[in-house]
Amino acid sequence: MVTLRRTASLALPAPQEVSRVGPLERRDRKLFLAFLAPGMLLGIGALFIPVIYAIQLSFFHAESFIDEPTFVGLDNYIRVFSEPRYWEAFWHGLFYAVSTVFLQVVIGIGIALLLHQEFRGRNLLRSAALAPYILPTVVVVYIWKWLLNINYGISNAFLETIGIGPIAWFSTPSGAWVSIIFVSVWHWTPFVTITFLAALQTISDDLYDAAAVDGANAWKRLIHITLPVLKPVLIVIVMLRTIFMFNKFDIVWLMTNGGPLTSTEHLPILAYVKTFDMFDIGGGTAIATSIFVFLAVLIWIYFRMFPLEEH
Amino acid sequence: MRKTNWVLIRRVFLVLLFGGVILYSLFPMYWMVISGLRAGRALFEPLLLPGPYSWQGYKTILSLTDFPTYYLNSILIAVGTTAITVAVVTPMAYALVRSRLPGMMLMVRAMLFAYMFPALLLAIPIYVFLVKIGLDDTRLSLILTHSTFTLPLGVWLMWGFFKNFPFEVEESAFIDGCSRLQAIYRIIMPLTLPGVLTVVLFAFVLSWSDFVFSLILITSDELKTLPYGLASIDDAYDANWGELMAGSTMICLPLLLLFAFLSRYFIRGLSMGAVKS
Repeated sequence: MVTLRRTASLALPAPQEVSRVGPLERRDRKLFLAFLAPGMLLGIGALFIPVIYAIQLSFFHAESFIDEPTFVGLDNYIRVFSEPRYWEAFWHGLFYAVSTVFLQVVIGIGIALLLHQEFRGRNLLRSAALAPYILPTVVVVYIWKWLLNINYGISNAFLETIGIGPIAWFSTPSGAWVSIIFVSVWHWTPFVTITFLAALQTISDDLYDAAAVDGANAWKRLIHITLPVLKPVLIVIVMLRTIFMFNKFDIVWLMTNGGPLTSTEHLPILAYVKTFDMFDIGGGTAIATSIFVFLAVLIWIYFRMFPLEEH
Repeated sequence: MRKTNWVLIRRVFLVLLFGGVILYSLFPMYWMVISGLRAGRALFEPLLLPGPYSWQGYKTILSLTDFPTYYLNSILIAVGTTAITVAVVTPMAYALVRSRLPGMMLMVRAMLFAYMFPALLLAIPIYVFLVKIGLDDTRLSLILTHSTFTLPLGVWLMWGFFKNFPFEVEESAFIDGCSRLQAIYRIIMPLTLPGVLTVVLFAFVLSWSDFVFSLILITSDELKTLPYGLASIDDAYDANWGELMAGSTMICLPLLLLFAFLSRYFIRGLSMGAVKS
Protein backbone atom coordinates (compact mmCIF):
# COMPACT_ATOMS: atom_id res chain seq x y z
CA MET A 1 0.00 0.00 0.00
CA VAL A 2 2.63 2.53 1.04
CA THR A 3 4.97 1.55 -1.75
CA LEU A 4 2.17 1.92 -4.26
CA ARG A 5 1.40 5.45 -3.15
CA ARG A 6 5.05 6.41 -3.28
CA THR A 7 5.58 5.32 -6.85
CA ALA A 8 2.69 7.50 -7.91
CA SER A 9 3.80 10.63 -6.10
CA LEU A 10 7.58 10.25 -6.45
CA ALA A 11 7.44 11.70 -9.90
CA LEU A 12 6.20 15.03 -8.60
CA PRO A 13 9.01 17.53 -8.39
CA ALA A 14 8.52 19.57 -5.20
CA PRO A 15 7.33 18.48 -1.72
CA GLN A 16 4.54 21.08 -1.60
CA GLU A 17 3.09 19.43 -4.73
CA VAL A 18 2.77 16.15 -2.80
CA SER A 19 0.82 17.85 -0.05
CA ARG A 20 -1.35 19.46 -2.72
CA VAL A 21 -2.44 16.00 -3.87
CA GLY A 22 -3.56 15.15 -0.34
CA PRO A 23 -6.77 17.22 -0.15
CA LEU A 24 -7.50 16.23 -3.72
CA GLU A 25 -7.46 12.56 -2.76
CA ARG A 26 -9.74 13.36 0.15
CA ARG A 27 -12.08 15.35 -2.03
CA ASP A 28 -12.38 12.38 -4.37
CA ARG A 29 -12.93 9.87 -1.59
CA LYS A 30 -16.63 9.57 -2.40
CA LEU A 31 -15.81 9.03 -6.05
CA PHE A 32 -13.38 6.27 -5.14
CA LEU A 33 -15.99 4.61 -2.95
CA ALA A 34 -18.45 4.77 -5.82
CA PHE A 35 -15.83 3.12 -8.02
CA LEU A 36 -15.32 0.30 -5.55
CA ALA A 37 -18.96 -0.25 -4.62
CA PRO A 38 -20.31 -2.25 -7.63
CA GLY A 39 -17.48 -4.77 -7.51
CA MET A 40 -17.79 -5.16 -3.77
CA LEU A 41 -21.57 -5.61 -3.99
CA LEU A 42 -21.17 -8.23 -6.69
CA GLY A 43 -18.51 -9.99 -4.66
CA ILE A 44 -20.58 -9.95 -1.51
CA GLY A 45 -23.90 -10.83 -3.15
CA ALA A 46 -22.78 -13.51 -5.56
CA LEU A 47 -19.77 -14.93 -3.77
CA PHE A 48 -19.52 -14.19 -0.07
CA ILE A 49 -23.16 -14.73 0.95
CA PRO A 50 -23.59 -17.97 -1.07
CA VAL A 51 -20.40 -19.43 0.35
CA ILE A 52 -21.42 -18.60 3.92
CA TYR A 53 -24.86 -20.03 3.20
CA ALA A 54 -23.35 -23.27 1.87
CA ILE A 55 -21.11 -23.64 4.91
CA GLN A 56 -24.19 -23.15 7.05
CA LEU A 57 -26.11 -25.79 5.02
CA SER A 58 -23.38 -28.34 5.64
CA PHE A 59 -24.59 -28.47 9.27
CA PHE A 60 -28.17 -29.23 8.20
CA HIS A 61 -30.03 -32.17 6.75
CA ALA A 62 -31.90 -31.44 3.52
CA GLU A 63 -33.15 -33.69 0.72
CA SER A 64 -34.33 -30.97 -1.63
CA PHE A 65 -33.55 -27.33 -2.26
CA ILE A 66 -37.04 -26.23 -1.29
CA ASP A 67 -37.96 -27.80 2.05
CA GLU A 68 -36.87 -26.53 5.44
CA PRO A 69 -33.49 -28.02 6.46
CA THR A 70 -33.11 -29.47 9.94
CA PHE A 71 -30.03 -28.83 12.06
CA VAL A 72 -27.87 -31.92 12.57
CA GLY A 73 -24.59 -30.45 13.83
CA LEU A 74 -21.49 -32.25 12.61
CA ASP A 75 -23.40 -35.34 11.42
CA ASN A 76 -22.83 -34.64 7.70
CA TYR A 77 -19.10 -34.33 8.22
CA ILE A 78 -18.86 -37.49 10.34
CA ARG A 79 -20.89 -39.42 7.76
CA VAL A 80 -18.92 -38.14 4.77
CA PHE A 81 -15.48 -38.59 6.32
CA SER A 82 -16.26 -42.15 7.38
CA GLU A 83 -17.11 -43.18 3.80
CA PRO A 84 -14.20 -44.88 2.00
CA ARG A 85 -15.55 -43.27 -1.18
CA TYR A 86 -14.59 -39.83 0.13
CA TRP A 87 -10.97 -40.81 0.72
CA GLU A 88 -10.72 -42.66 -2.58
CA ALA A 89 -11.94 -39.50 -4.29
CA PHE A 90 -9.40 -37.46 -2.33
CA TRP A 91 -6.49 -39.63 -3.50
CA HIS A 92 -7.82 -39.69 -7.07
CA GLY A 93 -7.80 -35.89 -7.07
CA LEU A 94 -4.28 -35.75 -5.69
CA PHE A 95 -3.07 -38.29 -8.26
CA TYR A 96 -4.76 -36.40 -11.08
CA ALA A 97 -3.35 -33.03 -9.93
CA VAL A 98 0.22 -34.23 -9.41
CA SER A 99 0.48 -36.22 -12.64
CA THR A 100 -1.09 -33.55 -14.87
CA VAL A 101 0.92 -30.70 -13.30
CA PHE A 102 4.16 -32.65 -13.67
CA LEU A 103 3.51 -33.37 -17.35
CA GLN A 104 2.29 -29.84 -18.07
CA VAL A 105 5.44 -28.36 -16.56
CA VAL A 106 7.85 -30.73 -18.33
CA ILE A 107 6.18 -30.38 -21.74
CA GLY A 108 5.52 -26.68 -21.17
CA ILE A 109 9.18 -25.89 -20.45
CA GLY A 110 10.26 -27.99 -23.42
CA ILE A 111 7.97 -26.18 -25.85
CA ALA A 112 8.82 -22.79 -24.31
CA LEU A 113 12.56 -23.39 -24.82
CA LEU A 114 11.84 -24.40 -28.39
CA LEU A 115 9.68 -21.36 -29.12
CA HIS A 116 12.29 -19.09 -27.57
CA GLN A 117 14.67 -19.85 -30.46
CA GLU A 118 15.13 -17.17 -33.10
CA PHE A 119 13.58 -18.16 -36.42
CA ARG A 120 11.24 -16.92 -39.08
CA GLY A 121 7.54 -17.42 -38.42
CA ARG A 122 8.10 -17.63 -34.67
CA ASN A 123 4.96 -15.65 -33.80
CA LEU A 124 2.83 -17.89 -35.98
CA LEU A 125 4.17 -20.98 -34.25
CA ARG A 126 3.59 -19.39 -30.85
CA SER A 127 -0.04 -18.78 -31.68
CA ALA A 128 -0.37 -22.35 -32.93
CA ALA A 129 1.11 -23.77 -29.72
CA LEU A 130 -1.20 -21.58 -27.64
CA ALA A 131 -4.38 -22.42 -29.55
CA PRO A 132 -5.56 -25.48 -27.53
CA TYR A 133 -5.86 -23.28 -24.46
CA ILE A 134 -8.61 -21.07 -25.89
CA LEU A 135 -10.90 -23.95 -26.88
CA PRO A 136 -13.82 -24.54 -24.51
CA THR A 137 -13.35 -27.64 -22.39
CA VAL A 138 -16.49 -29.23 -23.82
CA VAL A 139 -15.11 -28.95 -27.33
CA VAL A 140 -11.74 -30.34 -26.25
CA VAL A 141 -13.45 -33.32 -24.67
CA TYR A 142 -15.61 -34.06 -27.72
CA ILE A 143 -12.68 -33.75 -30.12
CA TRP A 144 -10.66 -36.23 -28.09
CA LYS A 145 -13.55 -38.60 -27.47
CA TRP A 146 -13.90 -38.71 -31.23
CA LEU A 147 -10.16 -39.11 -31.84
CA LEU A 148 -9.97 -41.89 -29.22
CA ASN A 149 -13.24 -43.58 -30.18
CA ILE A 150 -12.92 -47.37 -30.00
CA ASN A 151 -14.56 -48.21 -33.32
CA TYR A 152 -13.98 -45.29 -35.65
CA GLY A 153 -11.44 -43.04 -33.92
CA ILE A 154 -8.44 -42.06 -36.02
CA SER A 155 -6.03 -42.94 -33.19
CA ASN A 156 -7.20 -46.52 -33.08
CA ALA A 157 -7.02 -46.75 -36.88
CA PHE A 158 -3.41 -45.64 -36.53
CA LEU A 159 -2.70 -48.08 -33.68
CA GLU A 160 -4.12 -50.92 -35.75
CA THR A 161 -1.90 -50.18 -38.74
CA ILE A 162 1.19 -50.38 -36.54
CA GLY A 163 -0.06 -53.61 -35.04
CA ILE A 164 -1.41 -52.58 -31.64
CA GLY A 165 -5.07 -53.50 -31.42
CA PRO A 166 -7.82 -50.95 -30.85
CA ILE A 167 -7.81 -49.69 -27.27
CA ALA A 168 -11.08 -49.15 -25.42
CA TRP A 169 -9.86 -46.00 -23.67
CA PHE A 170 -12.94 -45.36 -21.58
CA SER A 171 -13.96 -48.81 -20.36
CA THR A 172 -11.03 -49.70 -18.10
CA PRO A 173 -9.92 -47.59 -15.11
CA SER A 174 -6.33 -47.30 -16.33
CA GLY A 175 -7.41 -46.43 -19.88
CA ALA A 176 -9.82 -43.82 -18.52
CA TRP A 177 -7.07 -42.28 -16.37
CA VAL A 178 -4.59 -42.20 -19.23
CA SER A 179 -7.06 -40.44 -21.49
CA ILE A 180 -8.21 -37.94 -18.84
CA ILE A 181 -4.62 -37.06 -17.99
CA PHE A 182 -3.53 -36.85 -21.61
CA VAL A 183 -6.43 -34.60 -22.63
CA SER A 184 -6.00 -32.35 -19.57
CA VAL A 185 -2.31 -31.97 -20.34
CA TRP A 186 -3.05 -31.19 -23.98
CA HIS A 187 -5.60 -28.56 -23.01
CA TRP A 188 -3.65 -26.73 -20.29
CA THR A 189 0.01 -27.02 -21.24
CA PRO A 190 -0.12 -23.83 -23.38
CA PHE A 191 -0.79 -21.81 -20.24
CA VAL A 192 2.46 -23.11 -18.73
CA THR A 193 4.29 -22.62 -22.04
CA ILE A 194 3.29 -18.99 -22.38
CA THR A 195 4.21 -18.23 -18.79
CA PHE A 196 7.67 -19.73 -19.14
CA LEU A 197 8.11 -17.99 -22.47
CA ALA A 198 7.39 -14.66 -20.81
CA ALA A 199 9.94 -15.48 -18.09
CA LEU A 200 12.54 -16.52 -20.68
CA GLN A 201 12.15 -13.18 -22.42
CA THR A 202 13.26 -11.37 -19.27
CA ILE A 203 16.77 -12.90 -19.59
CA SER A 204 19.00 -10.50 -21.48
CA ASP A 205 21.03 -11.81 -24.41
CA ASP A 206 24.17 -10.28 -22.88
CA LEU A 207 24.10 -12.91 -20.20
CA TYR A 208 24.18 -15.72 -22.76
CA ASP A 209 26.82 -13.93 -24.81
CA ALA A 210 29.03 -13.49 -21.78
CA ALA A 211 28.61 -17.16 -20.86
CA ALA A 212 29.39 -18.20 -24.42
CA VAL A 213 32.58 -16.09 -24.32
CA ASP A 214 33.51 -17.86 -21.09
CA GLY A 215 33.19 -21.14 -22.94
CA ALA A 216 29.88 -22.43 -21.57
CA ASN A 217 28.14 -24.74 -24.02
CA ALA A 218 24.39 -24.78 -24.66
CA TRP A 219 23.76 -27.36 -21.93
CA LYS A 220 25.72 -25.40 -19.31
CA ARG A 221 23.92 -22.20 -20.30
CA LEU A 222 20.61 -23.99 -19.77
CA ILE A 223 21.62 -25.30 -16.33
CA HIS A 224 23.35 -22.18 -15.01
CA ILE A 225 21.37 -19.32 -16.58
CA THR A 226 18.00 -20.42 -17.91
CA LEU A 227 16.78 -22.78 -15.20
CA PRO A 228 17.70 -20.49 -12.24
CA VAL A 229 15.68 -17.70 -13.88
CA LEU A 230 12.74 -20.05 -14.37
CA LYS A 231 12.83 -21.36 -10.80
CA PRO A 232 10.62 -18.76 -9.06
CA VAL A 233 8.10 -18.92 -11.92
CA LEU A 234 8.23 -22.68 -11.69
CA ILE A 235 7.33 -22.67 -7.99
CA VAL A 236 4.41 -20.31 -8.55
CA ILE A 237 3.14 -22.30 -11.53
CA VAL A 238 3.36 -25.63 -9.72
CA MET A 239 1.38 -24.30 -6.75
CA LEU A 240 -1.26 -22.53 -8.82
CA ARG A 241 -1.70 -25.38 -11.26
CA THR A 242 -1.93 -27.96 -8.48
CA ILE A 243 -4.74 -25.98 -6.84
CA PHE A 244 -6.50 -25.64 -10.21
CA MET A 245 -6.12 -29.24 -11.29
CA PHE A 246 -7.15 -30.68 -7.93
CA ASN A 247 -10.55 -29.09 -8.57
CA LYS A 248 -11.02 -29.40 -12.30
CA PHE A 249 -14.55 -30.69 -12.58
CA ASP A 250 -15.69 -30.28 -16.17
CA ILE A 251 -13.04 -32.26 -18.03
CA VAL A 252 -13.30 -35.34 -15.80
CA TRP A 253 -17.09 -35.16 -15.64
CA LEU A 254 -17.47 -34.85 -19.42
CA MET A 255 -14.96 -37.56 -20.23
CA THR A 256 -15.93 -40.31 -17.81
CA ASN A 257 -18.62 -39.06 -15.35
CA GLY A 258 -16.19 -40.36 -12.73
CA GLY A 259 -16.39 -43.89 -14.13
CA PRO A 260 -16.05 -46.69 -14.97
CA LEU A 261 -17.95 -47.11 -11.66
CA THR A 262 -16.17 -44.62 -9.41
CA SER A 263 -12.60 -45.24 -10.55
CA THR A 264 -11.98 -41.68 -11.80
CA GLU A 265 -14.20 -39.91 -9.29
CA HIS A 266 -12.52 -37.05 -7.41
CA LEU A 267 -13.88 -34.74 -4.71
CA PRO A 268 -15.58 -32.12 -6.92
CA ILE A 269 -17.42 -34.90 -8.77
CA LEU A 270 -18.40 -36.56 -5.51
CA ALA A 271 -19.71 -33.21 -4.22
CA TYR A 272 -21.74 -32.76 -7.42
CA VAL A 273 -23.10 -36.32 -7.41
CA LYS A 274 -24.10 -36.09 -3.74
CA THR A 275 -25.83 -32.75 -4.18
CA PHE A 276 -27.60 -33.21 -7.49
CA ASP A 277 -27.94 -36.97 -8.05
CA MET A 278 -28.38 -38.28 -4.50
CA PHE A 279 -30.13 -35.14 -3.19
CA ASP A 280 -27.92 -35.28 -0.14
CA ILE A 281 -27.46 -31.52 0.03
CA GLY A 282 -25.95 -31.52 3.50
CA GLY A 283 -23.40 -34.16 2.47
CA GLY A 284 -22.55 -32.40 -0.80
CA THR A 285 -22.03 -29.04 0.86
CA ALA A 286 -20.00 -30.71 3.61
CA ILE A 287 -17.66 -32.10 0.94
CA ALA A 288 -17.50 -28.73 -0.78
CA THR A 289 -16.71 -27.05 2.54
CA SER A 290 -13.98 -29.57 3.28
CA ILE A 291 -12.35 -28.74 -0.07
CA PHE A 292 -12.76 -25.02 0.74
CA VAL A 293 -10.86 -25.45 3.98
CA PHE A 294 -8.18 -27.57 2.35
CA LEU A 295 -7.75 -25.01 -0.45
CA ALA A 296 -7.82 -22.03 1.87
CA VAL A 297 -4.92 -23.52 3.81
CA LEU A 298 -2.97 -24.15 0.59
CA ILE A 299 -3.65 -20.64 -0.71
CA TRP A 300 -2.71 -19.12 2.64
CA ILE A 301 0.61 -20.95 2.51
CA TYR A 302 1.01 -19.72 -1.06
CA PHE A 303 0.55 -16.07 -0.04
CA ARG A 304 2.90 -16.57 2.90
CA MET A 305 5.57 -17.74 0.48
CA PHE A 306 4.89 -15.12 -2.19
CA PRO A 307 3.74 -11.82 -0.70
CA LEU A 308 2.23 -9.49 -3.29
CA GLU A 309 4.39 -6.48 -2.39
CA GLU A 310 7.54 -8.22 -3.52
CA HIS A 311 7.88 -6.26 -6.77
CA MET B 1 33.26 -29.28 -42.57
CA ARG B 2 32.32 -30.98 -39.32
CA LYS B 3 30.88 -27.74 -38.04
CA THR B 4 28.49 -27.26 -40.99
CA ASN B 5 27.32 -30.83 -40.54
CA TRP B 6 26.41 -30.10 -36.95
CA VAL B 7 24.58 -26.93 -37.95
CA LEU B 8 22.63 -28.92 -40.51
CA ILE B 9 21.77 -31.69 -38.06
CA ARG B 10 20.67 -29.14 -35.50
CA ARG B 11 18.48 -27.42 -38.07
CA VAL B 12 16.83 -30.66 -39.21
CA PHE B 13 16.27 -31.65 -35.59
CA LEU B 14 14.67 -28.28 -34.80
CA VAL B 15 12.41 -28.43 -37.86
CA LEU B 16 11.27 -31.91 -36.81
CA LEU B 17 10.53 -30.68 -33.29
CA PHE B 18 8.58 -27.67 -34.58
CA GLY B 19 6.64 -29.95 -36.88
CA GLY B 20 5.86 -32.18 -33.92
CA VAL B 21 4.62 -29.26 -31.81
CA ILE B 22 2.41 -27.98 -34.63
CA LEU B 23 0.98 -31.44 -35.27
CA TYR B 24 0.37 -32.00 -31.55
CA SER B 25 -1.38 -28.64 -31.10
CA LEU B 26 -3.30 -28.29 -34.33
CA PHE B 27 -4.14 -31.77 -35.61
CA PRO B 28 -7.09 -32.26 -33.21
CA MET B 29 -8.57 -28.94 -34.32
CA TYR B 30 -7.99 -29.81 -37.97
CA TRP B 31 -9.71 -33.15 -37.41
CA MET B 32 -12.67 -31.39 -35.76
CA VAL B 33 -13.12 -29.11 -38.78
CA ILE B 34 -12.87 -31.81 -41.44
CA SER B 35 -15.00 -34.32 -39.50
CA GLY B 36 -17.72 -31.68 -39.21
CA LEU B 37 -17.73 -31.45 -42.98
CA ARG B 38 -18.20 -35.16 -43.50
CA ALA B 39 -21.22 -37.41 -43.35
CA GLY B 40 -22.20 -41.05 -43.70
CA ARG B 41 -19.53 -43.65 -44.30
CA ALA B 42 -16.80 -41.07 -44.96
CA LEU B 43 -16.86 -40.21 -41.25
CA PHE B 44 -15.63 -43.64 -40.34
CA GLU B 45 -12.80 -43.89 -42.84
CA PRO B 46 -9.35 -42.86 -41.66
CA LEU B 47 -8.92 -40.28 -44.45
CA LEU B 48 -6.34 -37.70 -43.39
CA LEU B 49 -7.00 -35.19 -46.16
CA PRO B 50 -10.21 -33.12 -46.12
CA GLY B 51 -13.25 -34.36 -48.01
CA PRO B 52 -15.54 -35.78 -49.26
CA TYR B 53 -17.43 -32.68 -48.18
CA SER B 54 -20.97 -32.64 -46.88
CA TRP B 55 -22.95 -30.00 -44.98
CA GLN B 56 -25.23 -32.68 -43.52
CA GLY B 57 -23.83 -32.34 -39.97
CA TYR B 58 -24.37 -28.58 -39.96
CA LYS B 59 -27.85 -28.89 -41.45
CA THR B 60 -28.96 -31.49 -38.91
CA ILE B 61 -27.64 -29.72 -35.83
CA LEU B 62 -28.99 -26.32 -36.93
CA SER B 63 -32.45 -27.49 -37.97
CA LEU B 64 -33.27 -30.50 -35.77
CA THR B 65 -31.83 -29.39 -32.42
CA ASP B 66 -31.97 -26.28 -30.25
CA PHE B 67 -28.43 -25.37 -31.24
CA PRO B 68 -29.42 -21.94 -32.68
CA THR B 69 -31.19 -21.10 -29.40
CA TYR B 70 -28.09 -22.10 -27.43
CA TYR B 71 -26.02 -19.90 -29.72
CA LEU B 72 -28.22 -16.90 -29.08
CA ASN B 73 -28.12 -17.55 -25.31
CA SER B 74 -24.34 -17.80 -25.38
CA ILE B 75 -24.03 -14.52 -27.26
CA LEU B 76 -26.41 -12.70 -24.88
CA ILE B 77 -24.73 -14.07 -21.78
CA ALA B 78 -21.13 -13.59 -22.96
CA VAL B 79 -21.81 -10.02 -24.11
CA GLY B 80 -23.68 -9.24 -20.89
CA THR B 81 -20.89 -10.69 -18.78
CA THR B 82 -18.23 -8.80 -20.71
CA ALA B 83 -20.10 -5.49 -20.40
CA ILE B 84 -20.64 -5.90 -16.65
CA THR B 85 -17.06 -7.02 -16.10
CA VAL B 86 -15.52 -4.04 -17.88
CA ALA B 87 -17.92 -1.58 -16.26
CA VAL B 88 -17.22 -2.91 -12.77
CA VAL B 89 -13.56 -3.82 -13.04
CA THR B 90 -12.04 -0.70 -14.62
CA PRO B 91 -13.14 1.85 -12.00
CA MET B 92 -12.49 -0.66 -9.25
CA ALA B 93 -8.90 -1.32 -10.31
CA TYR B 94 -8.32 2.42 -10.73
CA ALA B 95 -9.56 3.08 -7.20
CA LEU B 96 -7.48 0.20 -5.82
CA VAL B 97 -4.31 1.76 -7.22
CA ARG B 98 -5.07 5.48 -6.84
CA SER B 99 -7.18 5.97 -3.74
CA ARG B 100 -5.56 6.27 -0.36
CA LEU B 101 -8.32 4.41 1.39
CA PRO B 102 -7.14 1.79 3.86
CA GLY B 103 -7.29 -1.92 3.06
CA MET B 104 -6.73 -1.71 -0.68
CA MET B 105 -4.03 -4.38 -0.78
CA LEU B 106 -6.24 -6.59 1.33
CA MET B 107 -8.94 -6.29 -1.29
CA VAL B 108 -6.55 -7.16 -4.12
CA ARG B 109 -5.54 -10.19 -2.10
CA ALA B 110 -9.15 -11.18 -1.50
CA MET B 111 -9.72 -10.94 -5.26
CA LEU B 112 -6.89 -13.35 -5.96
CA PHE B 113 -8.14 -15.62 -3.22
CA ALA B 114 -11.58 -15.73 -4.85
CA TYR B 115 -10.03 -16.28 -8.27
CA MET B 116 -8.34 -19.44 -7.04
CA PHE B 117 -11.57 -21.07 -5.96
CA PRO B 118 -12.79 -23.52 -8.56
CA ALA B 119 -16.03 -22.98 -10.42
CA LEU B 120 -17.84 -26.05 -9.14
CA LEU B 121 -17.28 -25.29 -5.47
CA LEU B 122 -18.71 -21.81 -6.01
CA ALA B 123 -21.49 -23.03 -8.28
CA ILE B 124 -23.05 -25.33 -5.66
CA PRO B 125 -23.50 -22.63 -2.99
CA ILE B 126 -24.52 -20.07 -5.60
CA TYR B 127 -27.17 -22.44 -6.92
CA VAL B 128 -28.52 -23.23 -3.47
CA PHE B 129 -28.67 -19.51 -2.73
CA LEU B 130 -30.32 -18.66 -6.06
CA VAL B 131 -33.02 -21.27 -5.46
CA LYS B 132 -33.65 -19.67 -2.09
CA ILE B 133 -34.14 -16.21 -3.60
CA GLY B 134 -35.94 -17.60 -6.67
CA LEU B 135 -33.42 -16.48 -9.29
CA ASP B 136 -32.20 -19.90 -10.46
CA ASP B 137 -32.66 -20.95 -14.08
CA THR B 138 -32.46 -17.44 -15.55
CA ARG B 139 -30.05 -15.82 -18.00
CA LEU B 140 -29.49 -13.02 -15.51
CA SER B 141 -28.27 -15.46 -12.87
CA LEU B 142 -25.74 -16.83 -15.34
CA ILE B 143 -24.54 -13.33 -16.30
CA LEU B 144 -24.09 -12.38 -12.64
CA THR B 145 -22.26 -15.57 -11.68
CA HIS B 146 -20.04 -15.39 -14.76
CA SER B 147 -19.25 -11.82 -13.76
CA THR B 148 -18.15 -12.85 -10.28
CA PHE B 149 -15.96 -15.41 -11.96
CA THR B 150 -14.39 -12.88 -14.37
CA LEU B 151 -14.24 -10.09 -11.78
CA PRO B 152 -11.14 -11.28 -9.85
CA LEU B 153 -9.14 -11.96 -13.01
CA GLY B 154 -10.24 -8.64 -14.53
CA VAL B 155 -9.38 -6.65 -11.40
CA TRP B 156 -6.04 -8.42 -11.28
CA LEU B 157 -5.25 -7.66 -14.92
CA MET B 158 -6.35 -4.00 -14.69
CA TRP B 159 -4.61 -3.59 -11.35
CA GLY B 160 -1.35 -4.70 -12.97
CA PHE B 161 -2.06 -2.33 -15.80
CA PHE B 162 -2.78 0.73 -13.64
CA LYS B 163 0.16 -0.03 -11.38
CA ASN B 164 2.58 0.60 -14.23
CA PHE B 165 0.61 3.58 -15.51
CA PRO B 166 2.47 6.89 -15.79
CA PHE B 167 0.20 8.97 -13.55
CA GLU B 168 2.22 12.18 -14.05
CA VAL B 169 0.05 12.76 -17.10
CA GLU B 170 -3.03 12.60 -14.93
CA GLU B 171 -1.48 14.84 -12.27
CA SER B 172 -0.66 17.46 -14.86
CA ALA B 173 -4.28 17.39 -15.98
CA PHE B 174 -5.29 18.18 -12.38
CA ILE B 175 -2.95 21.14 -12.42
CA ASP B 176 -4.66 22.31 -15.61
CA GLY B 177 -7.90 22.31 -13.64
CA CYS B 178 -9.43 19.01 -14.69
CA SER B 179 -11.53 17.18 -12.12
CA ARG B 180 -10.68 13.53 -11.54
CA LEU B 181 -13.58 12.28 -13.61
CA GLN B 182 -12.57 14.53 -16.50
CA ALA B 183 -8.98 13.34 -16.22
CA ILE B 184 -10.11 9.73 -16.24
CA TYR B 185 -12.42 10.26 -19.17
CA ARG B 186 -10.04 12.31 -21.31
CA ILE B 187 -6.62 10.96 -20.42
CA ILE B 188 -6.73 7.62 -18.65
CA MET B 189 -9.42 5.85 -20.66
CA PRO B 190 -7.79 6.30 -24.07
CA LEU B 191 -4.42 5.18 -22.72
CA THR B 192 -5.76 2.10 -20.96
CA LEU B 193 -7.66 0.82 -23.98
CA PRO B 194 -5.23 -2.09 -24.57
CA GLY B 195 -5.74 -3.20 -20.95
CA VAL B 196 -9.50 -2.94 -21.28
CA LEU B 197 -9.34 -4.95 -24.50
CA THR B 198 -7.43 -7.70 -22.68
CA VAL B 199 -10.15 -7.81 -20.02
CA VAL B 200 -12.86 -7.89 -22.70
CA LEU B 201 -11.22 -10.87 -24.36
CA PHE B 202 -10.80 -12.83 -21.16
CA ALA B 203 -14.30 -12.09 -19.90
CA PHE B 204 -15.82 -13.11 -23.23
CA VAL B 205 -13.79 -16.30 -23.51
CA LEU B 206 -14.47 -17.35 -19.90
CA SER B 207 -18.20 -16.80 -20.23
CA TRP B 208 -18.43 -18.38 -23.69
CA SER B 209 -16.51 -21.50 -22.60
CA ASP B 210 -18.15 -22.05 -19.23
CA PHE B 211 -19.80 -25.42 -18.77
CA VAL B 212 -20.04 -25.78 -15.00
CA PHE B 213 -22.27 -22.81 -14.09
CA SER B 214 -24.57 -23.49 -17.01
CA LEU B 215 -24.85 -27.16 -16.01
CA ILE B 216 -25.74 -26.33 -12.43
CA LEU B 217 -27.78 -23.12 -12.69
CA ILE B 218 -29.82 -23.82 -15.82
CA THR B 219 -32.50 -26.48 -16.10
CA SER B 220 -34.75 -25.19 -18.92
CA ASP B 221 -33.62 -26.31 -22.33
CA GLU B 222 -34.31 -22.95 -23.96
CA LEU B 223 -31.92 -21.16 -21.58
CA LYS B 224 -28.87 -23.39 -22.01
CA THR B 225 -25.62 -22.03 -23.38
CA LEU B 226 -23.55 -23.72 -26.09
CA PRO B 227 -21.18 -25.92 -24.05
CA TYR B 228 -23.94 -27.42 -21.91
CA GLY B 229 -26.24 -27.42 -24.95
CA LEU B 230 -23.81 -29.50 -27.00
CA ALA B 231 -23.44 -32.00 -24.16
CA SER B 232 -27.23 -32.34 -23.86
CA ILE B 233 -27.62 -32.75 -27.63
CA ASP B 234 -25.17 -35.64 -27.32
CA ASP B 235 -27.24 -37.13 -24.48
CA ALA B 236 -30.70 -36.59 -25.94
CA TYR B 237 -30.49 -37.06 -29.70
CA ASP B 238 -27.89 -39.79 -30.12
CA ALA B 239 -26.07 -37.33 -32.36
CA ASN B 240 -23.39 -38.68 -34.70
CA TRP B 241 -19.78 -37.51 -34.68
CA GLY B 242 -20.22 -35.39 -37.79
CA GLU B 243 -22.96 -33.39 -36.10
CA LEU B 244 -21.04 -33.03 -32.83
CA MET B 245 -17.91 -31.89 -34.68
CA ALA B 246 -19.97 -29.42 -36.74
CA GLY B 247 -21.38 -28.04 -33.48
CA SER B 248 -17.92 -27.90 -31.90
CA THR B 249 -16.55 -26.02 -34.89
CA MET B 250 -19.36 -23.45 -34.64
CA ILE B 251 -18.69 -23.00 -30.90
CA CYS B 252 -14.99 -22.40 -31.57
CA LEU B 253 -15.52 -20.03 -34.48
CA PRO B 254 -15.82 -16.72 -32.56
CA LEU B 255 -12.98 -17.73 -30.22
CA LEU B 256 -10.65 -18.62 -33.07
CA LEU B 257 -11.51 -15.38 -34.88
CA LEU B 258 -10.80 -13.32 -31.75
CA PHE B 259 -7.63 -15.26 -31.20
CA ALA B 260 -6.44 -14.87 -34.79
CA PHE B 261 -6.77 -11.09 -34.72
CA LEU B 262 -5.93 -10.35 -31.09
CA SER B 263 -3.55 -13.10 -30.02
CA ARG B 264 -1.00 -10.64 -28.66
CA TYR B 265 -3.58 -9.37 -26.15
CA PHE B 266 -4.24 -12.94 -25.09
CA ILE B 267 -0.55 -13.57 -24.65
CA ARG B 268 -0.07 -10.32 -22.75
CA GLY B 269 -2.98 -11.11 -20.45
CA LEU B 270 -1.79 -14.63 -19.79
CA SER B 271 1.75 -13.49 -19.07
CA MET B 272 0.49 -10.75 -16.77
CA GLY B 273 -1.84 -13.08 -14.95
CA ALA B 274 0.87 -15.60 -14.26
CA VAL B 275 4.27 -13.93 -14.05
CA LYS B 276 3.14 -10.98 -11.94
CA SER B 277 2.20 -13.22 -9.08
